[in-house]
Order: sequence, then C-alpha cells, then structure tokens
Amino acid sequence: MLCDECRQKEAAFTVSVMIQGTSTIRHLCPECHQKLNRQIRAGNLQELLSSILKAITAKTVSEEAETGLSFDLPEELQEQEKTGPEPVCPECHTTLSSFRKTGRLGCPACYQAFRQQLQPMLMQIHGHVAHAGRVPSSSREARRHRSRQEELTRQMAQAVAQEDFETAAALRDQLKALSEEEEAQ
Amino acid sequence: MIGQDTMVNCRVRLARNYTDLPFDLQKRPNDAERCIQRTVNALELSGLGESFHLLRLREMTASQKEALNEKHLITKDLLRREETAAVLLNENMDLSVMINEEDHLRIMAVLPGRSLIQGEGSCFRIEEALSEHTSFAFDPQLGYLTAYPTNTGTGLRASMVLHLPMLTLDKQMGTMNQMAAKVGLTIRGLYGEGSEALGSLYLVSNNATLGRTEHEIVSTVDAVALQLGQLEQQLRERYFLQQRAKMEDEAGRAWGILRHARLLDVKEFFKLWSSVRVGALAGMLPVDAVSLDAMLENAQAGHLKARIGEDLSDERLLEVRADFVRRVLKEKQQEDV
Repeated sequence: MLCDECRQKEAAFTVSVMIQGTSTIRHLCPECHQKLNRQIRAGNLQELLSSILKAITAKTVSEEAETGLSFDLPEELQEQEKTGPEPVCPECHTTLSSFRKTGRLGCPACYQAFRQQLQPMLMQIHGHVAHAGRVPSSSREARRHRSRQEELTRQMAQAVAQEDFETAAALRDQLKALSEEEEAQ
Repeated sequence: MIGQDTMVNCRVRLARNYTDLPFDLQKRPNDAERCIQRTVNALELSGLGESFHLLRLREMTASQKEALNEKHLITKDLLRREETAAVLLNENMDLSVMINEEDHLRIMAVLPGRSLIQGEGSCFRIEEALSEHTSFAFDPQLGYLTAYPTNTGTGLRASMVLHLPMLTLDKQMGTMNQMAAKVGLTIRGLYGEGSEALGSLYLVSNNATLGRTEHEIVSTVDAVALQLGQLEQQLRERYFLQQRAKMEDEAGRAWGILRHARLLDVKEFFKLWSSVRVGALAGMLPVDAVSLDAMLENAQAGHLKARIGEDLSDERLLEVRADFVRRVLKEKQQEDV
C-alpha cells in the first residue's frame, strides 16, 4: 500500500487521527511518519492538521477540530529498545533499527526475531494479530512429501546400483529426516 | 443490477514469499534468478505453464512496460527493480504474476466490471498450483509472511475502480471515505495527486490483510462498492429527472469536444470522458460504457506510444491521443447509424 501522504513510498506505519470525533486511519511511509512525529514534537498541530485534512478530504473542517494521535509503538517498548541490546534477525542479520527506518523486514525469520515489536504494529495496522484466512493445505504438504520421498528412494536405488554407497547413505539420511519431519507435522 | 454502471473494473492481488530466500532480491541477482526459475518450473509442473509467458523487464521496451503498468498488470515498484524483475502474463492479459517485486510473488487479476469474486478465484488457482511444488513462508499465528507488515496474513488486496461523478459533484466523497474507514476500507482517487480524482474515478480497497478471511475481505469491498454505486445511481437518476437539459448539455458538449478536438491532454480527456460516460449510460450518446472503459487505458501515454512507436514528444502525444479518441468515437457513431 502506498503512503497516504507522499503516495510514492510503501506505507509501513498506521496512524489513527481523530477529526471531529471520527477516527480516520492513515497509512504512512517511514519518512512521512517521521515528519509527522517531528511536527507533533514541534507542537505544530495546525500544520499537521492541515496536512492530514488536505489528504483525506477536500472538505473544509472548522478550526476547532480536535486532534488526538496515537502511534505504532507504546512508549515503554521504545524505552526498552534504548536500554537492551538491539534485536537482530539470525537469518538475514537485519537489525531492528534498520527495520524501523525502512519499515521493511529482511526475511521470513525476521517475524520471529522482532515478534515482540511487531505485535503492537500489526495491531495498529490490521486491528488484529491473529491470522484467520487460508492455511497451506496439509494434504498438499503431504503430497509434496510423498513425491519428494519417491524421488529420493529412486535416487538411492540408482546410487546402490552404481555402487556409490556414500551418496546412497546421504540419501538414506535425507529420507529419514524427511519422514521425521512429516511425523513432527 | 443497480449500481453496476459505476463499476469500471476490479483487481485482486495476493502476496507470497518463498520460505528460504530473503525478501529483497534486488541486489542478489543469483537468488532473484532462482526465484524466477522456481516459479516458472512450479507453474509448468502444475500444468498451468502453457497459459502463461514470462517477460523479463530488462528485455522489454519502455512503452511495453508503460502499457502494462497502465493496465495495472505490473506496478511502479516492479519497474523500479527492472534488473531483477520479471512477470508472467496470461494470454487474455487479465492475470499476472509479478516476480521479485516487494515480495517474491504478487499474483494479480484485473477484470472488468463487478467480478471481485472471480478475480479472487483466479488468483487462488494460480497460488494453489504453485504451492503444490513450492513452499510459501507461513506462520501459524500471523499467516503468510510478507516484506512489509502491511500485507501480512492473507496477503490479499481487493480493489474496485468506481466512476462516481455525481457523488463527487455533491461533495460526498469525504464522508464516503470516513464511512469506508470504519469497515477497514480506503477510497482514493485513481488518477491525480492528493485528494484530486481525475475523471471522478476512485479506487476502493481493503487496508487490513490480517485477522479476516479472504472471503470477508473480498465481500466487504464488494458490498461497499455496490453501496457507493447505488448512491451514485440514485443521484444520477435525480439529476436526470430534475435537470435533464443540463445533463444533456454537459454530455453533448463533452462529446463534441472529444469527437472534434485535435489536441487532447490527459486531464482534459479524463474530465470529458467522465461526462460522456454519464451521458452514454443515460442513453443520450451513441457509445457504450464498455468501449469507454476500454478507452480509459488506451488513451494513456504508454498505450499510445506502444501503438505508434517509441519516440513521441509531449506535443505529438496530445495529437495522437486526440486522433485516437476521435477515431474510436467516430466508429461508435457510425455503428449507431
């Protein structure tokens, strides 16, 4: 999804804004999100409000419009980040701060590495943290296992026939691992 | 059905990633190539291979790419990664699989009218075929894992393009957007910047991808689009009954300009196109909505350049667009006679 503000970069943050008692969701890229944060810190609410209004509706809204802003990360977590060692993904070595900067995760394992930080963010973006949709079909999974098993068995028979026992042993180990994996699932 | 006159087209997009590769392969040409090969092989093994052909972006011409982007079969993000990116396209040019965009795979359907459910079905047929022979990154709690957390879960984005000139004229779109936000949807202008919506064309789509089923997402977008369409229709009927002469005048003038202009910039084209479409659906003009909707893509820069040739100056583009629009509408008028 593109950023609602600049419409050029991918949105990574979701901000809810109260305008005349109605909450509106805005999706921002890291840069625009930072800009918004700076504006709030600078206390420039008027400018902030006008930029939000400009983007969500062409209608003029009275100057008394109330604003309330909430952000993706609870303060206590931000504090915690400052004090503890920085989490790093063991697979792709993406650091939490680089994820914060780009809004982009490095690999599937990042979800595990940054799970704690991701939960509140996902809650903000989606209003949920639990998947309710489709899952990879277990029957498909099983079918794939079977065809892999057949392939390995065939290769092993071939290796034995060629008296290549080293390869055959390696293939036997792979087959064993495969059936253990299946049992675990 | 009432409301369908406003529905121009719909799109469904599904994000998927392979388990064993980092998300961003832009700087890893070998992995990027592996990702392309794996996808092509899986599609071939599943028997769907023959229905698709592979295009590598670095081997395509600029206008080819622009035209596919205007058809919404590839995105600007894919164009930015052209060294490593590829796309699988079907013959009908309504299904695509972008490879090495933000996510490894973006399976997309672009269909005319109100056909979100059909689009969803098409995307999942491709997804299921691929997943027979590959593994997608999936977490039991979070669902399908994507490069940006904004797509996590189902990875599904359902959108519908609506033509809403009367709601725009009535200054209702701000309110409509607030209402849509309450059910997790966004309405934005399809073309133009900020709150501008050229041609009164809007895109309605879901924000959240996590915590809802695919069916819930698709049916919410469909239901809201239908509701917006019905409101638009009511306003049009009222306008038709109360200010028929004005409506006819607007449609007639727009028709006149489009039929006779020699230079046409894209903003003016959108504005006139919108009035002509309203008039045509009210039976005032000899052209049908399907032809007008097709013209929407074909009158844009990439399509015009692809048809004429690579080097079109901005000036010449205005001329070529006007020629094209004139020709299409003339044919329609002659058919009518």
